[in-house]
Amino acid sequence: MSQQTFSSSGGAGDDEQGEETAVGGQTFASAQAADSLLDEIDEVLESNAETFVRSFVQKGGQ
Amino acid sequence: MKRRVGGLETEYGLVCVRADGTRALEPEAAARELFRPVVALGRSSNVFLGNAARLYLDVGSHPEIATAECDDWWDLVAQDRAGERILADLVSTANARLAEQGEDARIHLLKNNVDSAGNAFGSHENFLVDRRGEFTRLPGALLPFLVTRQIMTGAGGVVREADGGARFVFSRRSDHMWESVSSATTRTRPIINTRDEPHGDATRYRRLHVIVGDSTMSETSTWLRFATTDLVLRLIESGQVLPELKLADDIAAIRAVARDLRGSQPVELESGAAMSSLEIQQRYLDLVAPLADESEQIVLETWQRSLDAVRTGDRSWARTRLDWAIKEALFEEVGARRGIGLDSPQIERLDLAYHDIDPERGLFSRLQQAGRAPRVLEDARIEAARTTAPTTTRAHLRGQVVTEAIAHGVDHVVDWTTMRLVRPGAMPVTVLDPFATQSDEVDALLAQIRAAGTARPDPV
Repeated sequence: MSQQTFSSSGGAGDDEQGEETAVGGQTFASAQAADSLLDEIDEVLESNAETFVRSFVQKGGQ
Repeated sequence: MKRRVGGLETEYGLVCVRADGTRALEPEAAARELFRPVVALGRSSNVFLGNAARLYLDVGSHPEIATAECDDWWDLVAQDRAGERILADLVSTANARLAEQGEDARIHLLKNNVDSAGNAFGSHENFLVDRRGEFTRLPGALLPFLVTRQIMTGAGGVVREADGGARFVFSRRSDHMWESVSSATTRTRPIINTRDEPHGDATRYRRLHVIVGDSTMSETSTWLRFATTDLVLRLIESGQVLPELKLADDIAAIRAVARDLRGSQPVELESGAAMSSLEIQQRYLDLVAPLADESEQIVLETWQRSLDAVRTGDRSWARTRLDWAIKEALFEEVGARRGIGLDSPQIERLDLAYHDIDPERGLFSRLQQAGRAPRVLEDARIEAARTTAPTTTRAHLRGQVVTEAIAHGVDHVVDWTTMRLVRPGAMPVTVLDPFATQSDEVDALLAQIRAAGTARPDPV
């Protein structure tokens, strides 16, 4: 809700989200999106998560 | 200073893996692949872009983007997000080429601050400050704010304690800070770096280099880092030196604050008294409130809401806005769903996915689509920032020179203050005022570029 107040300084609110909660069908779509997001996360975590983490080694920067 | 320029330097983590997660290319080789189009264009892996930002390869093969100087913090967020997209395009081009060559290799760029071996890299904030303001007193008044602001702007994450246990913290970077103020950046990493390169008129300005910040994915978090620090600097510049807030030990405090998710533990002050991180933040907020103008009321409101989320434990506002709270909710949800604890390598993988800037596969952009992370800026504004510099600072001049020079195929050399063409007798044009948006000399340089481009001899 308050993200909309950002629009004055940010030049953009999140009107889409506001509408989503107002319209039933879109709320459902959003719940589906959340489920599919969790499925996607499962997929990433089940495919060699630990090996990926270990592969990420770099010298320090700055 | 009522009007201040700032910029953000972000170093990205780089990993190139096979489908099975093992390393396909060493970081040096992966960085070379990534920067191929950049080197082809500018004959260097250190270039200024048409949006006036600097793109380069930093120590340790970290791709880095330093945004143009901005005097509006939403412009800065747009430039930072545009930088992510520019790099994401390079990743996509490199990955397509690797796939074409039949290589089982995929590059990921991670906008985070630590790799799995504990090597740290940074997200450095730059603020223009007045040289007259006695720079020696500024850090003392600013440090208690920087130590405690992580309860609002931290990226969140999990640290391993000496006893082997894992715990969620506001900022993992806190464990990589070793000094309050110094001129070093890698060896003994300080909260404030005193390297004095103003990139402007050195008699008037200094550049305050804050290197304690986490790389933030949330536009709200990035904006808060700059908008709140700007107000605190204004407070200090108004003559307040805030001796009552000085901490007894900044480094001990920053680590304790990272772990205190309720913001209520006493932090020892130099005076012998103690205040909690919440009390310290609230004190700064109350002190800057009278200095904020109409347009900045939103900064105060958002700052207050962030503190309230910690104070009350009610995360309903924060968990879709602030990086640490988005992550906290996500780790809890995924942990419960999969029956894993914070010490699981899967949680570390999840953390890396959160910072992966891939617009399709990166977790943060998926969270935005699902309404679980803020999308404050219009997409068109971020897209525009990929090619257009902020129009209210010197970046406007640099951006025009780089854009025109590239468009006309004219060799040029540019840095933060100086621009010149690569040709015998070419005179450098120097703009020392970071607020300058018009310059006759730059106009003349632009005319030269256009003439040189059109006057190129026809191929025989």
